[in-house]
This record gives sequence, C-alpha cells and structure tokens, in this order.
Amino acid sequence: MLTLSPTQRVLRALAAWLVVAIFAFPIYYWFTIAFRVEREIFEIPPLIFDWTFSGKSFEEVFGISFGYDSSQTTLAGGGNFYMMPRLWDSIVVAVCSTALAISIATFASYALSRMRFAGQHHFVFWILSTRMMPPVAVAIPMFFIYKQFGLLDTYTGIILVHALMNLPLAVLLLKSFFDDIPMEIDEAALIDGASRWLIFRKIVAPMAIGGIAATAVLCFIFSWTEFLFVLTLTQTSLKTVPVVASTFVTSTGTAWGNMAALGVGAMVPAFIFILMVQKNLVRGLTLGSLKQ
Amino acid sequence: MSDSPVKTPADRSHASSTYIVRAPKFMLSDHALPWLAPMLAILLVFALYPFFYNVWLSFHEFVPRKRTLEFVGTENWQKLFADSRMWGALGITLLYTGFCLIVQLILGLGIALLLDSDDPGFGFLRGVLTLTLVIPPAITGMMFLLLEDAQFGVFTYALQQLGVLGTSPILGNTSTALLGVMVADIWQWTPFMVLIFLAGLRAMPTEPFESAVIDGASSWQIFMRLTLPMLGKVIAIAVLIRGIDLFRTFDYVYVMTSGGPGTSTYTLSLYAWQQTFSFIKWGYGATISLFSLLVILVVANVFVAMTKLRW
Repeated sequence: MLTLSPTQRVLRALAAWLVVAIFAFPIYYWFTIAFRVEREIFEIPPLIFDWTFSGKSFEEVFGISFGYDSSQTTLAGGGNFYMMPRLWDSIVVAVCSTALAISIATFASYALSRMRFAGQHHFVFWILSTRMMPPVAVAIPMFFIYKQFGLLDTYTGIILVHALMNLPLAVLLLKSFFDDIPMEIDEAALIDGASRWLIFRKIVAPMAIGGIAATAVLCFIFSWTEFLFVLTLTQTSLKTVPVVASTFVTSTGTAWGNMAALGVGAMVPAFIFILMVQKNLVRGLTLGSLKQ
Repeated sequence: MSDSPVKTPADRSHASSTYIVRAPKFMLSDHALPWLAPMLAILLVFALYPFFYNVWLSFHEFVPRKRTLEFVGTENWQKLFADSRMWGALGITLLYTGFCLIVQLILGLGIALLLDSDDPGFGFLRGVLTLTLVIPPAITGMMFLLLEDAQFGVFTYALQQLGVLGTSPILGNTSTALLGVMVADIWQWTPFMVLIFLAGLRAMPTEPFESAVIDGASSWQIFMRLTLPMLGKVIAIAVLIRGIDLFRTFDYVYVMTSGGPGTSTYTLSLYAWQQTFSFIKWGYGATISLFSLLVILVVANVFVAMTKLRW
C-alpha cells in the first residue's frame, strides 16, 4: 500500500530475513543436536555450524537406518529409545480426538451461526470459558472419574479429554467460517423445501470445507502437543510424544540427541498439515473479527 | 428504506443483524438444541462436572491416615486467602501473563507489519515462522533448557561473551529464572500473534491508506490513526485467547524449572498441581484451581465488556 523506494525495500527484506532467522535459530540448533555426534552437544563454546553428522540418535528413536551400526541402546531404567509405538499412540490420539471434536463442533457451530436464541452471546462466552479452567482443574476430577470407570490409561479416555479441550476453540473458529457463507443460500434452499440437515450436509459444510480443514489441523496440533492430561491420565499403556520426551531426562543425564531427534520427527507431520491449510488457518485464527 | 417491497443487496446487508427477526416463520422453526446436543453432552461431562467436582472438593480434604476425603467446611478457602505462597504464585502468574502478553503483542504487531509484503520470499518467511507452533511446549521447554544450560548452552555462552551475564546460570538464579522461562513462551507464541495480525492486515481495504498518503500523512500517523484502529478487534481477540492460555501456563515451568529456584517461577497452575499430586492435598489443589478460574473469568469478562466483543 505504501510505496517504498528500492533502498527501503532491500532494507525491509533484510530486516524480515533477520527476524525470521532469529526465530528459526532454536529450531535449527535443535535439528543439529538431533544429527550431531553426541560428544559435540557438550562442546564449549557451542558448535553452531561446524558439527559432525551422525544418524545415531535418529536411528535409535525411529529405527530408520542412516548407516549407523544398529544396536538398540538401553536406558538405565531398562527401557530403550525406540519411539515408533509412542509416535503411533500420538497419531491415534490426535486423529481420533480431532475427528470427534470437529464433528461435534461442526454441528454446534452451524446452529450458532444460523439460528438465534436468547442469551446466545453469553452462551458462546460460556463455551469459551470452559477453556479458562486451569488444565489441572480438569485433570484432577477426570483422574477420579476415569479411575472409577476404568478409563485411566486408555485411548478412549485421552481421546475424550483432548476432544473437550479443543471444543471451545473449534466451535468459535467454525462459527466464524460458517458466518462467512451468506445466509441467503440457506434461505433459498429452505424455500425450495430442503431440510436444515440437507442444507448443512449438501451446501454449507462443503462450502466451508477449507475452514473445517484448517480447524482440524489446529485441533490436531493442540492434541499433538498436549502435555498435562497425558501426564496425569496415563500410566504405562500409552504415552504421547511430549510426555515421553520428558522421560529422556534420566538420573544419569539427559539424552539430548534422542530427545531432539524425537522432537524433529514429531514436528514433521504437524508442519505438513499446517502448510496445507495455512491460508484458511490464518484467516480463521481471527475468529471472524475481520468482517465489516 | 426498510419497508420498500423489493430488497436490494444493500438493503439486505444493512438489515442483516435484524434479518432473522423479520424472516418468515417457517425458517425459524428449526430448533438449535438438536444441533448443540452432542457438544452440550461433552461439555456437561467434561467441563461442568469437573467444575462442580472441584467446588465439592474445595470443601473437603484428603486425610492420608484414614485414606478418605473429609468435610472441612471453608477451611481450604480460609487457608487460600492467608497463604502467602499462593499470593506469591498469583503475582508470578500475573507478571508472567502481563509481560509475555505485552512483548508478544508488540513483537507480533511489528513483525506482522514487517512481513506484510508481496515481495518475493515473504511467503516463505511467513511459512517458516509457523514452524514454532507445531512444537509441543514441553519439548520447547527442553529446547530452551539446552540453550540456556549453565555450561554448554548457546544463550548462556553468547550472553557471557557479551558481558551481560556473569557466571550465574540463567535458570538457576532467582532474578533471571522467570525471564528464562518467559523467553521460551515468547519465542513459541509470538509467531501465533504474527499470523493473526497478518490475517488482519491482509484483509484491510487499501483506499483509506492511499488517500492518507495523498493527503501527506506520515507513516507514524497512518499507523496510529488507521492501522491500529482498524486492527482493534483482531488485537482484542488475540489478547483474549493468548491471555487465557498464558494465565494457565504449566508446561514450560514444569519442564524447565519446576517452580524453582526457590519459588521464583511458581505459577498458580504449578502450585495447584504440586498441592494435588506431590503433597496429596486434593481439596486445597482444587481450591487453588477454582480461585485461578475465578480470577481469569473476572478479567476476561471485564475485557470482553471493555472491548465490546460480540459473538
């Protein structure tokens, strides 16, 4: 909008690259930790560019060969670093809880977008307020209920609690996407004799599919990165990536290389998803506040 | 205009807020309830039940000797208001929330303005910035634990070379530990703010800016008089969402410092967690959680009223 002189444009580009480089640095460094020879992690001064490649950590965590002699390293506690099953746990929990949250939230937000009822503003604020509970305040009662119903340490238990955690934001996001679709379309279809359900299934939901995908990715990421519920509500039968990463801190020292390898590996699927829906995601994050 | 028989598009958009009221009756016959029912069921079980369970729990306390919960009346609440560690934790939580929020807001706005360009490369830069969002906060905590390590941390080394930091470790010193944790939060969530503000900036009409330039307004005037007011609602939403999450922060402090050294990074969430799981004070833990919910509810309500956010 504002016309910049060529010098100003170059300066702006330089500043932009510099800022993003600063933000990218910790990720770059973490990446090198995952792929460097273990002793170089503890080098002083820290090695930033001249590190030596080693696939050892990555291989131990994911069982993928980088030409390193494969011998499963065992932790002091008797476990090992092989994390593919835990990655699988994470994927199952994130995918299922996202599917559950999105299907429930789509129905609810369609109603909130298309139908008006008394106290709607307060109702939506109440939905948002369920996100204000400190996670501990949800985790403690859930711990006792789950214990009673045998849901402790099960996929079902974690999937349900992650779905709840994502509901408020999903409802608000989806509502904003539905609000973008002109009400006239619904009305025309209603006059033609279509039922609400048919309109939702055949018209509105397909039109908002980009927004639904973006919301789904956000839910996926929040479930993928969630820590406290998994920490409290599971014991042995499942663990997701963030919690299992904290077990790399052992009494004999922290397995930085393996932890970094797990972190880098866990970033990949989520980042691919986020790039796929970036445009809708960015718009959706403003929760419909961009309309005139 | 509204009683003209033929509706023009302009007429419709003008009346859109009250349109439902004037729509034919058969359009309203659909009830919202069946659509909301699955969500209500989940919220009832997983949000309302925990809430009332906490209320109930806050009037009880676990007695390890008998292995039962016993009714203690308002003892937990009296203890809460007299507990200097709780007030300390509240202070640290507010400091953490306020500081991170202000820094993330200013940095987010600045970086969004910087990246709001169609020049080549800027799309790539925006993509790179989203990378921080997909890292689990617990792992981010580990990452910064390594970067701020007293012996071989990059940040420690750089700060020592610059002469800013003495020999004391960043996270092991009561005066710098909280800042060390906040850096991780700011690093991870500033890009979230940038994305939101970018969406706001990109959706703005260009005409007001063009006429302002023609009228000879300076960049600063344009920013203060046009950009900021037009971005108002987006900023309000971002502050609300981020503020709520900052106030409940747990992962970073749990992973990086566990509240220490001393009580310098003890947040309310962590305090409630420790009372519950480390000291088996279930009732008191629930009381702290409820108090924390109460504080954020009041603040959020005032904020929504002040900024006139509507859904």
